[in-house]
Amino acid sequence: MKDWRALAKASGIGADPTQLDRIAEPLEALEAVFRPLVKDLAPGVEPATGLRLEEDGE
Amino acid sequence: MTIREAADALRARRVSAVELAAAATARIGRLNPKIDAFITVTAEQAREEARQADAELAAGRDRGPLHGIPVAVKDLFCTRGVRTTCGSKVYEDFVPGIDAAVVERLRAAGAVMLGKLNMHEMAYGVTSANPHFGPVRNPWNLEHSPGGSSGGSGAAVAAQLVYAAMGSDTGGSIRIPAAFCGVVGLKPTYGRVSRYGALPLAYSLDHMGPLARSVRDAAIVLNAIAGYDRRDPTSSRYPVVDFIPDDGCSIRRLRIGFPGNYYFDRLDPAVESSVRGVFARAQSLGAVVQPVRVPDVAALNAAGRVIQLAEAAAVAEPHLEHREKFGPDVLSLLDQGRLLPATDYINAQRLRRKLSRAFDQLWSEVDCLMAPTTPNTAPRIGDATVRLDGRDEDVRLAATRLVRGINVLGLPALSIPCGLGASGLPIGIQIVGPAWEEALILRIGAALEDGGVGIPPCPVAEVL
Repeated sequence: MKDWRALAKASGIGADPTQLDRIAEPLEALEAVFRPLVKDLAPGVEPATGLRLEEDGE
Repeated sequence: MTIREAADALRARRVSAVELAAAATARIGRLNPKIDAFITVTAEQAREEARQADAELAAGRDRGPLHGIPVAVKDLFCTRGVRTTCGSKVYEDFVPGIDAAVVERLRAAGAVMLGKLNMHEMAYGVTSANPHFGPVRNPWNLEHSPGGSSGGSGAAVAAQLVYAAMGSDTGGSIRIPAAFCGVVGLKPTYGRVSRYGALPLAYSLDHMGPLARSVRDAAIVLNAIAGYDRRDPTSSRYPVVDFIPDDGCSIRRLRIGFPGNYYFDRLDPAVESSVRGVFARAQSLGAVVQPVRVPDVAALNAAGRVIQLAEAAAVAEPHLEHREKFGPDVLSLLDQGRLLPATDYINAQRLRRKLSRAFDQLWSEVDCLMAPTTPNTAPRIGDATVRLDGRDEDVRLAATRLVRGINVLGLPALSIPCGLGASGLPIGIQIVGPAWEEALILRIGAALEDGGVGIPPCPVAEVL
């Protein structure tokens, strides 16, 4: 698990101690759910974003 | 009165557009100080637009069912010459030089614009307790939230200040206020309605759509605003059809998916019972209710949260040196987004692709999915948690847990009112369809509405 408080302090965003709690706690909870989900993603699964070039010159 | 009824009255000369606008303006003047649904009321402009609408109708120029109808838009849609705040101090003096595509199209359809609606700051939250423009209050009970982020849109429609309102939905922000305020809310397919001129929250999740008094009214608005727009790089050329359901439309033999997992976990008992009642009604109308297992919605929600955190932080970053301009909840979310590594964002988008494929397979089993819109009714203003199934749950996470995943998939979803909870507050059910099948979910919604699914009009006068 990342130390989100330390990261927030180091990033220089200017958060006070109360704000640090409000930043870190939700990220810790999200990380606990999110990280295991991406562990098994196959390399061939591409992100659902992309530049879509118009073919008609628009 | 619905848009259809008002449109009929206009054409029969029982009422004029000027009279409709005047009545709406008077009602806004009386109720808005209590509800705080509007940030800006454009009464004079509305009077002029209504006068023109009457003149055109008299001259035989009929722009269709929205001609002369009072509407309003969430205050993140740019309006030429009219302040557009996004519910934020950052934009408190922003007066755009353009109309958003949606505003252009509503004007082209003859709608009369009554003003700009209050919302959660930056559209980044579900309560619409705006720290800069005041909390929007739920017309069903002024101590309760209307939901959000399109809270002013939901409240304005429920209080019958306008016939329809435009909202935006990034993680449920049309459907949540629709459910909490007892109105209809439609999130179209991603790419169906242009985002041009709508101040963004999260580019790949933002959807624009209507809140209205009835399903057919929502369809009337969608008819006006749908379609390709080259100014929005994600706008689709997918063909636009007539979205308005026929009178007497049927759902006989349609396969309606009943999710056996996730969507019925940790619900307010009144929500569960109302939603189950709609399934029973659908069955009695000839639909086939089919139990289905839905792909991992919790995973979709996690991916959606990562994507939204990162994209919203990217949008707001230029303004974040002025931290004092943000409310604490929004500032916290923006800070969270700034800290996420790029790899998390990319992996969330990869997860989105994987789960989207899994969800596609559902449509070979059923024609649509129905589920509660929110697990609870509107929380009290200021409450940070709601208690569900013996557990306290963060208000934002609870309100978004049944709707956010659909934004990640980009699928169309319609919320309709289907009951009242123990405290007399509305309950909503959402109908989710395959991509581009707005006509189908609107037909299902209209058939259910015709079949008696719904709630009485908001008794707004009694709560004031």
